[in-house]
Amino acid sequence: MRALSIAATGMQAQQTNVEVIANNLANMNTTGYKEQRAAFQDLLYQNVEQAGAQSSDTGTLVPNGIQLGAGVRTAAVYRITQPGDLQSTANPYDVAINGAGYFRVTMPDGTDAYTRDGNFSLSPEGQLVTQQGYVIAPGLAIPPNATAVAINGQGQVQATIPGQTALQTVGQLELTRFPNDAGLKALGDNLFSETSSSGAPQAGVPGSTGYGTIQQYFLETSNVNAVEEITSLITAQRAYEMNSKVVTAADEMMSETAKLGS
Amino acid sequence: MDNASLVSLSYQLAAFRSMDVIANNLANASTPGFKRESVKFEEYVQPVQPAEGQSGSQSVAFVRDAGVVRDLSGGSLDHTGSPYDLAISGNGYFAVQTPAGERYTRNGHFTLNSEGQIVTSEGYPLLGDGGPITVAVDDGDISFGADGTVSGKQGQIGKVRMVDFADERALTKEGSSLYASSQSPAPAADATLSQGMLESSNVQPVLEISRMIEVMRAYEATATLAKNTDDLKRQAVEKLGTVQ
Repeated sequence: MRALSIAATGMQAQQTNVEVIANNLANMNTTGYKEQRAAFQDLLYQNVEQAGAQSSDTGTLVPNGIQLGAGVRTAAVYRITQPGDLQSTANPYDVAINGAGYFRVTMPDGTDAYTRDGNFSLSPEGQLVTQQGYVIAPGLAIPPNATAVAINGQGQVQATIPGQTALQTVGQLELTRFPNDAGLKALGDNLFSETSSSGAPQAGVPGSTGYGTIQQYFLETSNVNAVEEITSLITAQRAYEMNSKVVTAADEMMSETAKLGS
Repeated sequence: MDNASLVSLSYQLAAFRSMDVIANNLANASTPGFKRESVKFEEYVQPVQPAEGQSGSQSVAFVRDAGVVRDLSGGSLDHTGSPYDLAISGNGYFAVQTPAGERYTRNGHFTLNSEGQIVTSEGYPLLGDGGPITVAVDDGDISFGADGTVSGKQGQIGKVRMVDFADERALTKEGSSLYASSQSPAPAADATLSQGMLESSNVQPVLEISRMIEVMRAYEATATLAKNTDDLKRQAVEKLGTVQ
C-alpha cells in the first residue's frame, strides 16, 4: 500500500517545516539572523500508462496517462538574505552593515568565517572581537588610553586620545561579499563559512560600489516576520494532521482487507 | 459465480490507487507549483453466459482506472520575500536546463550558484531568452519585471523565458517538480511573473479529505460485498455437500 509511505513522506516534510519555523521563531531576537524556509518538491513518478500512447491502431491517443507520485521531499532549507531592521544601541562597538557584505572573522584555527552580527567588544590587546573573542579581520589596535572611538560609514576607525586635538586613525574595517550569499554554510554563533556554492569571497571597502556602509551604534535585527511565521506554523501543523489522517484511512482499508475471508 | 468477487476486486484495486493519488496530493500540499491530481475510472464491460433459466445477453462491468488527470488551475501566491522566488500567474512554465535536456516547472524557487547563475534547488540553470541568466555581484538588488525582464543596477541582464504548450496535460512528470515534454514549447501569451512570491499548490485539503473518506467507505462496502459473496459460496458448499 503506497498511500502509507506517501503520507509518511508528507508528515516528514511537515515536521522539517515546523522545525525550520521553530528555529526562526527562536532566533527572532538574534542579531543578524536570516530567516530560513524549507523548500519542497514532489518525488519520482511511476508511469503506469503513458499519456499520448496510442489507444487504437487508427491513431487515437490516450489523453491522460497514469502517473503515480511517490510523495514529497525537502529539496532545500534556504536562507532569505533580505536585510533586517537597524536598531540603535549605546555601545560604540556595535556596528551594523547597511547594505550588502559580511565582516570577516579570524577563527582560532586560522580559517576565515563571516558574520553580519556586529555586536563587537574590545580584547585586552585593543582589538575588535566577536562575543566569542574571535578577532575581526583586518586587525586593528585601539590605544588603551583612547577615550572615545568613532567608526564612520566607510569603516574608518578613529580614536580620541587625551592631549591630541585631531582624531587618530587606528584602523579600517573591511567588508566581504559573495556571488551567492544564500549558499554560505552556517556554523552557529552567527558565523558563516565559504562553500563552493557561495563562490569566492571578494573583499572591499565599506561604501564602495556594491558594498554596504557601516553604522556605528546600531545592530541589525533578525529579518524574521513573526506574523508570517505563525501563519506558516498553523498551515504546517494542519498539513501534518491531514497526512496523519491519510495514514489512519490507509490503515483502516488494510484492516478491512485482512478481515476478508475470515 | 466468481464474477461478484472479481468485480469487487477490480474496485478494491482501483480504490487503492485512488488512495495513493489522494495521499500524494496531501503530501504535496506545501510543494510550490504542485497541481492536484484525480483518478478517472471507466467501466470495462464483459459479456457473460446467461444464468440457467434466463435468456438474452448479460454482462458484468469491472472498474479500471483510465487515467490520472491534473487539475491545472493556478494556486494562490504565497509571499516569501526571497528575491529569487518567482511565481507565474496565468498559463506558463519556467524552462530549466537539466543534464537530460530542457525541462519545465511551475516551482519558482530559485537561488544563485557560485557563478551567479540563477538555478533551481538541484542546480539546474533557469533559462532566459539567451540561455542561462548570470547575475554579477555588482548588479546589486535584482528585480524581475512582470514580463520576465531581469534587471539590476547596471541595467537589463536578461529575460526569463516563460513557455506554454498546446496540450498541457500531455506533459509528463519527472519528480523534483519538473515536467518533460515531447511538444515544442511556444512563448507564453498570458503569463505574468511576480517576484518574492511562490505559487502554492492548488491542493484543497477539504476536498482531499472528503474524497479520502468516500474512497475508504466505498472500499469497506466492497469488502463487505466480497465477504458476503464468500459466505454465500461457503454456505452453498456446506449445504449442498450434506447428505440428507
